[in-house]
Amino acid sequence: MATAAAVMERWGGISRLFHWGMLVLLIGIVPLGLYMADLPLSKQKLKLYALHKSIGLTLLALAALRLLWRSTQRRPSLPAMPAWQAHAATVMHVALYALMFLVPLAGWLFNSAAGFPLQWFGQVNLPALASANPGLKPLARDLHEVGAWILVAFVALHAAAALKHHFVDRDRTLALMTPGVSAPGTGVDP
Amino acid sequence: MSARRPFVASAVAIGAVAMCAFAEASAADAPSYVPVAAQSSLSFGGTQQGEKFTGVFRDFDARIAYGPEQLSSSHIDVTIRLKSLDSKSPDRDSALAGADWFDFAKFPTATFRAATIRMTPAGPVGDADLTIKGRTKRLSFPFAWKNDSGKIVLDARVSLDRLDFGVGAGEWADESVAGRKVEVVVHLVLAPAPVAGAAARAPNKAGAGASAPKH
Repeated sequence: MATAAAVMERWGGISRLFHWGMLVLLIGIVPLGLYMADLPLSKQKLKLYALHKSIGLTLLALAALRLLWRSTQRRPSLPAMPAWQAHAATVMHVALYALMFLVPLAGWLFNSAAGFPLQWFGQVNLPALASANPGLKPLARDLHEVGAWILVAFVALHAAAALKHHFVDRDRTLALMTPGVSAPGTGVDP
Repeated sequence: MSARRPFVASAVAIGAVAMCAFAEASAADAPSYVPVAAQSSLSFGGTQQGEKFTGVFRDFDARIAYGPEQLSSSHIDVTIRLKSLDSKSPDRDSALAGADWFDFAKFPTATFRAATIRMTPAGPVGDADLTIKGRTKRLSFPFAWKNDSGKIVLDARVSLDRLDFGVGAGEWADESVAGRKVEVVVHLVLAPAPVAGAAARAPNKAGAGASAPKH
């Protein structure tokens, strides 16, 4: 029992790689998306769009793999906290996963409605989710854009909550997912 | 007044001769056709970022004179109004309208003129001048001519290099975004041209022709 509890002290290496790797890509793709949209048409613009789409497809694939991986893993238990906080954390995690799928899929739909090709790093072309449709385009764009803002807001909220647990509650919440960080309250090596 | 009679007589004579010459030429001329708009299409296929796309030019005029036995008077004339381009992507269409691509503002039309048509073992081939964006290129235009119990269809497929016409110039010239090769597909369902050609000529002859009703 004690051994099992020790093993479940934090997320495994692959889970952490998914978590932090996807955050790095997210930090890259969001400003890229905001920057590229207002550029005048040029080859550079199309290349930036292509890069944005390639990273987005990567994130979509990672989200699927991550969810699959997560289902095979035993989740570390949360430190003691008020029930509403544990509940809020679960709701947040579900929302984040939903957005990890929704935002790139809405981007894909937007691209399809615009009648544009979709290529992953110049290697593979992916099919359109819908046929070119000027009526669908603004709808899909809004879904993608608003979804992305909500995702960014939720990621910030999620990070703020983890930091609050670390610095205010001084529990091991942040340490569950963060390499090199131990719970401040205990001083025990993670 | 009577002094004018010889003039009228000679005018009638000249008119009659002209009409005869015209009639003879007409008999030898290849029959003239125009496309049935609803059934005809002028489309092209290109590649963008590794993906094929197709577009059509909805607005074009064509006048085709062709007869396998009347090659010397056979010819094809097409004028394409470029702004009728539709590639199923408003973004792409507006990009193609720009100065780097077709430059609609400066070059609203493209023209295709095949003044001579030869017969080859594979079928008729036009020697055509295609002008896009002010640049003319001579190309060979093999086409299939089918006459299915009165329904005449011209089908052709020509491969072009967009850079021959400066379409997608400058930074777009390399193929990283758009391929150079463009496949043009012509499918024209033809109907006999309304006698607009003859009607247009008629007023010149009307005065003389009136007194030469033999034809």
